[in-house]
Amino acid sequence: MKNKIILPSLAAVAALIGGGCGTNAHYIQTGGSQSVVTTGAINIQDYLQAANTMTSELLASGALDKVANPPAVLAISRIVNNTAQQIDTDLLTKKIRVALLQSGKAMTTTTMGLGGTAEDPMAKGLQQENEFKADVKTTRTPDFTLSGKIIQLAVKAGNTSQSTYSFQLSLTDPKTGLAVWEGEKEITKQGTRSSVGF
Amino acid sequence: MKTGITLALAGALLLAVSGCKTSVNSVENAQKTGQRQMVSDQRAVTDKSLAGRVSIVGVNSAMTPGGFLKVQIEVLNTTRSLQRFSYRFEWFDANGMQLTTLAPVEVPDQIQGGESKFISSVAPTPACRDFRVKFIKN
Repeated sequence: MKNKIILPSLAAVAALIGGGCGTNAHYIQTGGSQSVVTTGAINIQDYLQAANTMTSELLASGALDKVANPPAVLAISRIVNNTAQQIDTDLLTKKIRVALLQSGKAMTTTTMGLGGTAEDPMAKGLQQENEFKADVKTTRTPDFTLSGKIIQLAVKAGNTSQSTYSFQLSLTDPKTGLAVWEGEKEITKQGTRSSVGF
Repeated sequence: MKTGITLALAGALLLAVSGCKTSVNSVENAQKTGQRQMVSDQRAVTDKSLAGRVSIVGVNSAMTPGGFLKVQIEVLNTTRSLQRFSYRFEWFDANGMQLTTLAPVEVPDQIQGGESKFISSVAPTPACRDFRVKFIKN
């Protein structure tokens, strides 16, 4: 009799405990404190933090205000990936571009790119067509180019891994070839295994 | 023999406990040249434990040359051990509407025991007039 009551009760408790250990898929805030943190990879919160910090620094510097015809026009140059993983550098640059555009201080050209490759080939074609028809050059030369590098420095002591990701950006005035603003944001993560939450 | 073991254990325990305690000493110029423009703040505390450990000393603001509002907050670790927390800035325009340019960034931070440090942020647009900063214990 006792077994008939105790055993199902114990099974139910065990199921409850077991069920509590797993997590069903659910939505979290992008980059929020419940995000997964890994030392061996750049997480979305790292991109967000780096982009946010460097955009704030760039806007606060006033470098973008020193153009004859505001807002400044920006062209995206090479962002070198010196980390152990394959990354899409747009995860960093797009956030900066969006923030700069919304600040009203800078716009990015999509018809000029590294090596003559346009980000938007259709826009470039239409622009060239319009210029040919009107016989007037309407293309605005970029006031600045944005280049940079993402570097990973990984070390290990016993079971503990540590990775420092250095996000470096330079804003160059192509007329002079001088970097008018430079920013660097370093993010260091340490641990023995990946975790959920900061 | 037993006394030796007890002493060794006590020593190890003392080391383990003291290892968790870190405290910061600092020095600064007494006659300040810069004058902070302090902002009168309004606080909402729902996590008394965090507010007790990482207290907000003061808030000051300034305008950048480009016309952006810059806010700086001084926080103080009132304990003798390292505290981890995250903070998130929110910005509002002249109509009190929240401005979101990027996904809200929750910045993880840490502060040593007894340390006072500044956290700051620049508004995403010149239209920002007001701000709110949220602190979350990690």
